[in-house]
Amino acid sequence: MSSPALAVEQLSRRFAGLLAVDGVSFTVAPGEVVGLLGPNGAGKTTTLRMLAGLLTPHAGRALVCGVDVQQDPLEARRKLGLLTSSTGLFERLTAREVLSVFGQLNGLSREVVAARTEVLAKELELGAVLDRRCGQLSSGQKQRVSIARALVADPPAYVLDEPTATLDPLASVGILELVQRAKAGGKAVLFSTHRLEEAEYLCDRLVFLRAGKVVAQGTPQALVERSGAHTLTAAFLHYARGGGQAA
Amino acid sequence: MSPVRLLWWRELTEAIRDRRTVLLMALLPVVLYPLTLLLVGGVMAAGRERLARESLDVAVASDEAAALLARQPVPAFTVYRRMTAEAGLEALREKQVWAVVEASDGAVAALDGRGQAVVTVRYTKRHDRSMEALERLRRTLDAVGERGLTVRLEDLKVTPEFVSPVKVAPEDVDFEKDLGPLIASRLLPVILVLMLFVGALYPAIDMTAGERERGTWETVLVAPVKPWQVMAAKYLAVATLASCTALANLASMAVTFRIGLALDSGQSAQVHFSPAQLAVLLVALVAAAGMVSGVALAVASVARTFKEAQALLTPFTMLGSLPGMLALMPGVELNAFTACVPLLNVALLVKAVVLSAATVGPAALTVASTLVFCGLALRLVAKAAASEAVRFGGGGLRALLGRGPEA
Repeated sequence: MSSPALAVEQLSRRFAGLLAVDGVSFTVAPGEVVGLLGPNGAGKTTTLRMLAGLLTPHAGRALVCGVDVQQDPLEARRKLGLLTSSTGLFERLTAREVLSVFGQLNGLSREVVAARTEVLAKELELGAVLDRRCGQLSSGQKQRVSIARALVADPPAYVLDEPTATLDPLASVGILELVQRAKAGGKAVLFSTHRLEEAEYLCDRLVFLRAGKVVAQGTPQALVERSGAHTLTAAFLHYARGGGQAA
Repeated sequence: MSPVRLLWWRELTEAIRDRRTVLLMALLPVVLYPLTLLLVGGVMAAGRERLARESLDVAVASDEAAALLARQPVPAFTVYRRMTAEAGLEALREKQVWAVVEASDGAVAALDGRGQAVVTVRYTKRHDRSMEALERLRRTLDAVGERGLTVRLEDLKVTPEFVSPVKVAPEDVDFEKDLGPLIASRLLPVILVLMLFVGALYPAIDMTAGERERGTWETVLVAPVKPWQVMAAKYLAVATLASCTALANLASMAVTFRIGLALDSGQSAQVHFSPAQLAVLLVALVAAAGMVSGVALAVASVARTFKEAQALLTPFTMLGSLPGMLALMPGVELNAFTACVPLLNVALLVKAVVLSAATVGPAALTVASTLVFCGLALRLVAKAAASEAVRFGGGGLRALLGRGPEA
């Protein structure tokens, strides 16, 4: 098995005395899609923020393509395409300008960014909105621009925090297909979602968080079986209500 | 392009595309203030002219007063009304007349003899019409007195020059040159210092608390850039906008004063700034903009929301407007001490430069101390940039002062 593109090792983080993330460990290999599941407040976003080097862990470490995020956060971020839970687009810039800024911040030349923009515009059907200001876009269009922003530097690892949350089913399918293509292209994808059908459809493995701890991880089928349920939704409820053990 | 430059461009582009920023930066200084100043002068002159043409009733409260007034034509737009002194006062209180004239017993005889006629004019300062009536009566009664004096001098066979051996003939040959700077020295320190705040505060709030509300701060931080680079770009953008606002105001004021403000009697006050004066003002204002921008950005960055940032910065703005007003106080001048008081030094330097009273030492000390304060403000910005609490959800002023919980 190849070395993991994303590795989280005994990661912990407190907020005002409350342990938000408690010894979380998991990996994502190249060409693998791993789903990060859990109820609200389980520690998913905090884990993703530590993985991106935005928050400092109080214990443990995170690695992106072998680069320790704390020791070299810039290099780690260059290898990571992170989509945050909010679209967070600069509303007074056009979509093309947003992609240009982030491409150049990732060290790409203007020419490369321009070429990459055309590729992403085709993949995410953004052609018609590239030159419109982000503040004028629909929520679905904003989310697609936001995904393009995360992927503009073509990083080897993707971390997508609820990428389909604001999208209608049709637009969601487009994102899921993008993730599948990324997987086929050897990208490592960590995918946080509340939509269990998407997780079941897309993810090779699932990591279930509750109260900052990993309470279960494995393939969707294995998690369902281990919970004694028949569906992933039932398994989710089982783990969210106290089933499983801290891994 | 370096990350700081790229992010600075991004911040500026977004700010310039924001109508509110453009309004504060350009419309207020370039259009509103000069227009207001010119209009105020025009409105005041029109008001005076209108008052001079207004029909005013005056109560004449004694036969003696009537006899004195009858020696001169009735002033234009003035109506004399005979009534008792009591009725005249009541009419003045009720705004039916605007002055009451009374003369002492024997006033006419005193005038025609060699005594002194005492004439009392009752009026009120509360009403412009009453002041105008007083002026009209004063002119009429002065003319009566002058005529009486002429008759007396003729009787004595002496010329008017005999009783007035020295005639003072003041001749203001330097009106525009002197009064213009005086007026400008009272307006510019207040307006320019205030506009530094106007230019810095809104962008500072928008680029910190506003970004946090829109979720774009975190978006930038996920890019391979250091937090200090993000903050440095914000600082440069706010300082650029604050400097531009201050300079737009300076240019606008310079043009307004060059055109000239309308004053009494159709005169105007003008100021011509030399290139050297403008250069000194430019350096001082840019340094002060750097300082104000740093403090505004650091304070705004600890706020969780736009409203919270506005609340945090309101006292800061009120404090900041004080130096401009202090600079107007008599006796407060630029010296070695005041040159080290932040913002007051810039306000006083503006005042001194406008009055052509600035000297090299205090001016250099002002710029140097402002740069030091600018450096301290930058330290605050750097502290905000390094604070995880500030990056994610504000953290309040405690985070900036180093006592906020990081976790």
